[in-house]
Amino acid sequence: MYLLAPAVLRVAPEELPAQVRARFGSELRRSGAFAQLCMLGAQACLDTTAGDGPLGVLWSSRLGALRASRAALDESLQRGEPAMPFTFIGMQPHLTGALLAQRGHPVTRSAHLHLADEDWSLLLSVAQGWLAECERVLVGWVEESDSGGVAHKSDWCLLLKKPVAGAIRLEPAPHEDTAVAATAEDWIARIAAWRTSPRAPLFMRGGEDAWRFTPHGQ
Amino acid sequence: MTPVFVRASALASALGADLDAAVERLSGAPFAPARNTAAGGAWPYFAIPFAGDDWMKRAEAIARAVAESLRREAALAPGEWAALPCIAGSSSTSVGAWDRGGWAALAPPLEFCRMLAKGFGVRGPAMMVNTACTSGLSALDIALSLVAAGRFREVLVLGVELANRLTVAGFAGLELLSASAARPCDRERDGLVLGEALGAVLVSAAPGPWRIAALASGMDAASLTGPAPGGEVIANTMRAALSSARWTSAAVDLIKLQAGGGRLGDLAEARAIRELFAAPPRALSLKGALGHTLGASGPAELALLLASLARGRVPATWGFATPDDELGLTPSGGDGKGVSRVLFNLSGFGGNVMSLALEKTE
Repeated sequence: MYLLAPAVLRVAPEELPAQVRARFGSELRRSGAFAQLCMLGAQACLDTTAGDGPLGVLWSSRLGALRASRAALDESLQRGEPAMPFTFIGMQPHLTGALLAQRGHPVTRSAHLHLADEDWSLLLSVAQGWLAECERVLVGWVEESDSGGVAHKSDWCLLLKKPVAGAIRLEPAPHEDTAVAATAEDWIARIAAWRTSPRAPLFMRGGEDAWRFTPHGQ
Repeated sequence: MTPVFVRASALASALGADLDAAVERLSGAPFAPARNTAAGGAWPYFAIPFAGDDWMKRAEAIARAVAESLRREAALAPGEWAALPCIAGSSSTSVGAWDRGGWAALAPPLEFCRMLAKGFGVRGPAMMVNTACTSGLSALDIALSLVAAGRFREVLVLGVELANRLTVAGFAGLELLSASAARPCDRERDGLVLGEALGAVLVSAAPGPWRIAALASGMDAASLTGPAPGGEVIANTMRAALSSARWTSAAVDLIKLQAGGGRLGDLAEARAIRELFAAPPRALSLKGALGHTLGASGPAELALLLASLARGRVPATWGFATPDDELGLTPSGGDGKGVSRVLFNLSGFGGNVMSLALEKTE
């Protein structure tokens, strides 16, 4: 399995609408901050890669679209306004797959999930399974800021079945004791930082799994 | 890829908190669901017959009941059971706790999953999947990848959807609910009836009575709240499932429909089936008996269907009486002894379309 284009996005909450308009040409209708944040990060990753094969989209979050859920409860049940389909049954965190498809990306598999910090590496195992059906799997981690002065975070990378120029090779490294314990929040950022000067393989651990990252061709 | 099997399943639903009792009840006369008045109106609603004023304690009690049944059937060693990972799917997670407990009662989705895992007595990694109505089947999809990759030998998959005002208010506001009954595929169908369920499926690399031959997935983004009218993505997804399973369309004995009684959703699925099958195979819908249990519907309907087939029966489609010529589908129950290949369809808001291919091994 190969990894491409680790993209780390930090956006001040007040700048999110302008950045979305700048990238997509308009606001994303029916999308709250979380969905917009997912789209902005996912698209930033796709912008730097080629390929048009079947795409899986798999992204995780600690809290998801908690603000959108709270707003839906507030609007619908406290103020008696009708709940919109985009704000109940968890639609906001889940919109990204459909929004990417509406922009021409051939999405065939899509799931948003919540997992513990140390379980991020399970995403790689799931993506490996999805690559039996998809050519590419976009994997992300997204967290909406819930306090002033703290940036929104939207980190994504693309996993591929076949190597391409600039790709990073991923292999399980179950017996690698020196692997750095990474978290859901920082694993993509660590790869992005290491990639700028990859003098030695990167080993990272999540839960019971360790993975080895090496530039393709080395 | 490692083959993956269904080792055991269990269910709490409007048919009861026990799968055996639910299958018995399903073989009898249909019953009318209760009425839900929590969100204004008096909508038919398939509630789990489990009392409890405290939403979270009721959820825990339901989880414990389902766990006991699943554990008995799974017959794993205590250590193996305790180590199971738990992947749950839900569209609403614990939002129902807000109804009486307010903001303080709202728990992050992962915390709710951990609470369920605790109710099941398992301590492996926990994940909560959210893909709206396909959440439970997406949880199964993730579990299959993890078992097939050799990361786990067994995975506990849950689909959970429990009563809450927001979901009922949302569907009512969209005018998608029937005021009377769920009538899947019926000429007089006029909307969905919602329901509660906690479905549990234990998937395993060890051989079991049903092998998961394929789980295909597609994205229908024509509209975020319903399939494209022509059903093209549904057809393509079923086609992909057949291809991955290496079946011809003639090999399918039974299709478990998504059909919930909505005018357009049932029609799109029927068109997809007619496109793919020269003569549509036998079909059924379980939403007339369980209601549309949204994120729970994958594991819940899978548990009920496999338990019925294990007793040699294809369940009747409750609520279906008069065929709709435009659909060209006539769901039928009865003897299920010859059923060995099943296509299991599911789709939902947000565009996810899934088709599961199940093959009997015994």
